[in-house]
Amino acid sequence: MSTPYISYEKVEVRYSDLVFGVRDVTLSIPRGEFVFFVGRTGTGKSTLLKLLTHEVRPTAGKVILHGKDISQLPDWGVPALRREMGIVPQDFALLPRKRVWENVAYAMRAVGHSRRDVRKKVPEILEQVRIGHRADAYPHELSGGEQQRVAIARALINNPPLLLADEPTGNLDFEHSWEIMELLKELSTKGTTILVASHDMMVVERMGKRIVTLDAGRVQSDVKPGAEA
Amino acid sequence: MIDRIQFLIAEGFLAMRRNGWMTFAAITTVAVALFLIGGLSYIYVQLREGTGKLTGVFEMRASVVEETPPAKISAIAKEIREVPGVKAAYHIPRDKAWQKYLQEHPEHREYAELENPYPDMFKIVLTDVGKAESVAGAVKAIDGIKRDEVKYLSDVAELFTDLQAIVSWLGMVIGGILFITAGVLIYNAIRLTVISRRLEIRIMQLVGASFLTVRIPFYIEGIVQGLLGGVIATFVLYACQLGLEMRLPQFFAEVKLPPFPWMAFLMLLPLLGAGYGFLCSMVAVRTPLRYR
Repeated sequence: MSTPYISYEKVEVRYSDLVFGVRDVTLSIPRGEFVFFVGRTGTGKSTLLKLLTHEVRPTAGKVILHGKDISQLPDWGVPALRREMGIVPQDFALLPRKRVWENVAYAMRAVGHSRRDVRKKVPEILEQVRIGHRADAYPHELSGGEQQRVAIARALINNPPLLLADEPTGNLDFEHSWEIMELLKELSTKGTTILVASHDMMVVERMGKRIVTLDAGRVQSDVKPGAEA
Repeated sequence: MIDRIQFLIAEGFLAMRRNGWMTFAAITTVAVALFLIGGLSYIYVQLREGTGKLTGVFEMRASVVEETPPAKISAIAKEIREVPGVKAAYHIPRDKAWQKYLQEHPEHREYAELENPYPDMFKIVLTDVGKAESVAGAVKAIDGIKRDEVKYLSDVAELFTDLQAIVSWLGMVIGGILFITAGVLIYNAIRLTVISRRLEIRIMQLVGASFLTVRIPFYIEGIVQGLLGGVIATFVLYACQLGLEMRLPQFFAEVKLPPFPWMAFLMLLPLLGAGYGFLCSMVAVRTPLRYR
């Protein structure tokens, strides 16, 4: 059996004596898998993603990414860790006074890409998420789905093997939600490991991917594609 | 590399534009603080130099008891030179002093017939005008020195010592208070910039920008604020000197101000401001820019 790409080993996140983020979570995710974390608000879906981005540290257990225990990663190691993944926040986090291409370019410049590199890569990334035709638009001129595409485009600047999306369809109607999921599925077929926190069960079930259901911070069920719940 | 530096500098200046008025307040306060500190330091140095140039202020005369043998005079000279605050001590033989007086006052030629009224004397040069009193006390206590004939310009020395003390005290207190105020303003300006740029910071942290990339624009902001404050302070000081140079001859024809030390001020004040701005910005971004 090959080593999993991501492992949560008896992970616990305790915020106080009574408040837990997650409890005793053990999960293995192989490279290239598409996994949904579902459950009601406050059940720990986002916490599982934040453990990987190091926004949250486990109070017990281990989080292993690509064979490396990142549970106790020192602060100085976080930027490098983040460059190994793409993060799509729920609120898109787009700069309102910058055009679509500038939003992606800004992130690329921030991680050290040269201007020449930016000029070459930004159109490619925008085309990859099918938003190239709106490159000169400002975020407020875009639909919710288009804004989410820009956020995904920005998450792809480091060509990451792992993409984390926290409620990527939370602000979208069904049609736009489906478009985003199709896009994520496409990235998954290219080998990107994708973890999505969502409560949009209609879209999640239609995708036919692995679904990890959480309740009160614990894994309630872990259903792989083709298996019965 | 140049590309990278350009990005960081552009980010730093963008940050300043976002909080124009706060930046303006920080720069002007740094300028006022550095103007006061720089100006008062300049006055202090000028006072010290001016004191040195005033004949007699750094000098003291001590008369030797009559009929003291040369060997004893040599011993007294040695003792005087060992007193703390004495830079040098010169023996002025009574004959030489008398001849000098007659040469300098030819109108009193007839006095040459009289007996030499001068005693043997010592000219004592002080290291610091502020030590005049203690040196005088120590010299008076030396055996062979006339206790009531140790003379120096005590009032002038005291005046200059007091002036120096006042100027340095004012510089430390007022300049210090303003310097702290300037620091608080730089700190606040940068904190406001952090708030106004929280989305950019979040994006940088999401995509894994390095700690320095996130922080350097804010350091640049602090450095530029301090640097501009220093440059403005230098120019205002220069303007003050020009104003004084124009007005002073109307009241004191003989007083001439020394040339303004341009290079020293242009190096020192902006550098001091920039260093201080950098320090304040480092403190300001320490917590809010932590990776989350």
